[in-house]
Amino acid sequence: MYKLIKNPFGEDNMVLRLSDNANIPFSEDNRDYQEYLKWLAEGNTPEPADSE
Amino acid sequence: MAGTLTVDTIQSDSSYASTLNVASKINFSGGMQIGGQDATFGGMRNRIINGDMRIDQRFVGAATTNAINDFVVDRWVVGQTTTGKLIAQQNLNSLTPPPGFTTYLGVTSQSAYSIGSSDIFRIYQTLEGYNIADFGWGTANAITATLSFWVRSSLTGLFGGAFNNAAGRYPFSYTINSANTWEYKTITIVGSTTLGAANITNGSGISIQFSLGTGTTYSGTAGVWSATNYLSATGTTSVVGTSGATFYVTGVQLEKGSAASPFEYRSYGQELALCQRYYEKSYDTLTAPGTVTTSGVVYTTNSSDSAGSLVAHVPFSVPKRTGPTITLYNANFASTTGTWRYARSGVSETSYNMVSLYPGTRAFNCYGNTVAAWTPAYQYGHWTADAEL
Repeated sequence: MYKLIKNPFGEDNMVLRLSDNANIPFSEDNRDYQEYLKWLAEGNTPEPADSE
Repeated sequence: MAGTLTVDTIQSDSSYASTLNVASKINFSGGMQIGGQDATFGGMRNRIINGDMRIDQRFVGAATTNAINDFVVDRWVVGQTTTGKLIAQQNLNSLTPPPGFTTYLGVTSQSAYSIGSSDIFRIYQTLEGYNIADFGWGTANAITATLSFWVRSSLTGLFGGAFNNAAGRYPFSYTINSANTWEYKTITIVGSTTLGAANITNGSGISIQFSLGTGTTYSGTAGVWSATNYLSATGTTSVVGTSGATFYVTGVQLEKGSAASPFEYRSYGQELALCQRYYEKSYDTLTAPGTVTTSGVVYTTNSSDSAGSLVAHVPFSVPKRTGPTITLYNANFASTTGTWRYARSGVSETSYNMVSLYPGTRAFNCYGNTVAAWTPAYQYGHWTADAEL
């Protein structure tokens, strides 16, 4: 469902929604991020970011 | 001259029926009221954005699939708790819109679906808190407002909807008298001093719902504020309950005051800019995202960084409500996301993975790893930015 994305400095930067490759920022006002937080609260875990 | 001019009857003459003609200026030094409530002439008198359904950046007039459970025309969602029951489209079935309008939003029921108690089928728009804060709902300063709209359906009878937010709901009902005929409706809502307190910043202020079929769990008494999560009025028509049934709406206006004024017609550019606070794309306005085209692509020529990342900076035309969700599209392949095209010396043009970086309300960046440090190259692609409520 989701995969973490790192920035060029190796920090978690965003969440990739795998169904449509949407890049979701860590913004509490973003509706897609709110959906991601609900998904996490249900006990799910995103795929880890690719290693640099 | 101080005082009040009261007009009981406006006489008609041979040229004008029931018209007050003023040869000089009208001075509203004390403000203007409609139906006893303070009102305004302009400056966003209508709080609904894209109330006439003109702006359709996502689908550009094309029909949705019956799996739609998201935005159709800008700012308007078609929601289905059980997908597959509705298709939606700007100007569905190419009807003649109501007078003064060129566009509308329509839905067609795909089956005769018997709604369950928790089902919700609806068209709705959520207003940002900043745009509704002065209504004062849920406070001692709550004002009266009026919703007006044009509606048409293949069905007749009692239809429903609601204003709702986390702090209160106000179900309403209206009657469609004649099948397949545009009818103009108004709903006046007296603001509650205790319920419906809205977010007053960039979050969800209030939603306006038009029900297409709402289960009993979410149906309540019309015309009464409630703390219960009602999204429509009790006993209203289910559009999804009849296969092939249609429902169309346009000219939606929410304004201060207890009477509806004529629809506030804004220029196309103004309305598009209002929509772009919530959704913007690199594609031409009348080109759907995912289309194969280089018109409007972001195109950069530069060198990669030491890690081989080639970065593009993309400013928005309109600042966003919040940091948006970014989707990157390949300009050369239809409906292909997550990649752009690039080329560098010794490497022919090819597609490669792109992700966004540091999205803010005014701009975002994106980069792909070309795995060739400090190499001059070019890259190009499209994007959408979604900051919807």
